[in-house]
Amino acid sequence: MHVSLDTLRRWDKVGRFLAIRRSGKRFYRLSDIDKYLANLTLEEADLFLLAKKWASSAGATEPDSLFYCQNSAVFQSRLIKLEKTLGTVSGLENIFPLIVAITGEIGNNSFDHNLGSWPDISGIFFGYDTNRREIVLSDRGQGILKTLKRVKKELSSDEEALKVAFTEVLSGRAPEARGNGLKFVKNIVMQNDIDLFFQTGQAELNLKKGDTPLNIQRTDSRIQGCLAWIKF
Amino acid sequence: MIIELKKFGTTLVSRQSGKEAWAAFQPVLGSVSVAEDVTLDFAGVITFSPSWGDEFITPLQEKYQERLILKNTSNSSVQATLRLLEEISKIKFKLVK
Repeated sequence: MHVSLDTLRRWDKVGRFLAIRRSGKRFYRLSDIDKYLANLTLEEADLFLLAKKWASSAGATEPDSLFYCQNSAVFQSRLIKLEKTLGTVSGLENIFPLIVAITGEIGNNSFDHNLGSWPDISGIFFGYDTNRREIVLSDRGQGILKTLKRVKKELSSDEEALKVAFTEVLSGRAPEARGNGLKFVKNIVMQNDIDLFFQTGQAELNLKKGDTPLNIQRTDSRIQGCLAWIKF
Repeated sequence: MIIELKKFGTTLVSRQSGKEAWAAFQPVLGSVSVAEDVTLDFAGVITFSPSWGDEFITPLQEKYQERLILKNTSNSSVQATLRLLEEISKIKFKLVK
């Protein structure tokens, strides 16, 4: 649900989302959580959960038009809107170009590496909330392992592929000279007050300022393509 | 010759648009004389990323080398992108204020 324990306690107290009390502890029914998430309006919805659900669901459908960029031209125009919005947020005067630049690199990567090869739905989910200071992108593309395996056949896991993507100058579109976008993203996050969660397949990366080495782990949930969550 | 990057847009982030910019600018570059400097002016650019830069600045650097001068590079995304391009291409850009 991506809310804090204090929020859950407060919601229980005011009757917004009730807990079941046993032995002085609060418990929740899974069905109540599912019902709560299903009934959120798009404005109140958790962008990360929406994007993750879209990228990981078995059934392929287009996301809500509010978040759907079916081609790179739509993404570019929405990115410029994000740039204008972030440029007015107090405290971001120096780093908003960096936030927009890494958002652009991640979103454009989805289009560049899946052009003509989208497994089902082409395009990306792109949403942001300046009050919560977050940006979420996801795609239902081929994922990093499949893309990089074309040029580095020895890659055998999502974790290895994710590490290579963020640390080596290696392009899934060789012989074109590419493959520096995610290294740029890593450098920016490690040097600024920006947090990044990035998942592809069953590998996830959590990155923040000063992190070294990269914290990459295997996760149970699977994303068909890529999912990125930028917090600033 | 002075190239004002803002004339290509203020949000320069995708490879596709960088590649288009490079292709579209070839006839203009044809008028640069043998000993002439080429100054790339970043004034007015708001967001700049390696994908666009790699398609436009990397070939420009290869073509003009020490005759390429970069100006008004104080924007944080411009600086971060130039640092990465220098690292990857093993080059050092000539910067002026």
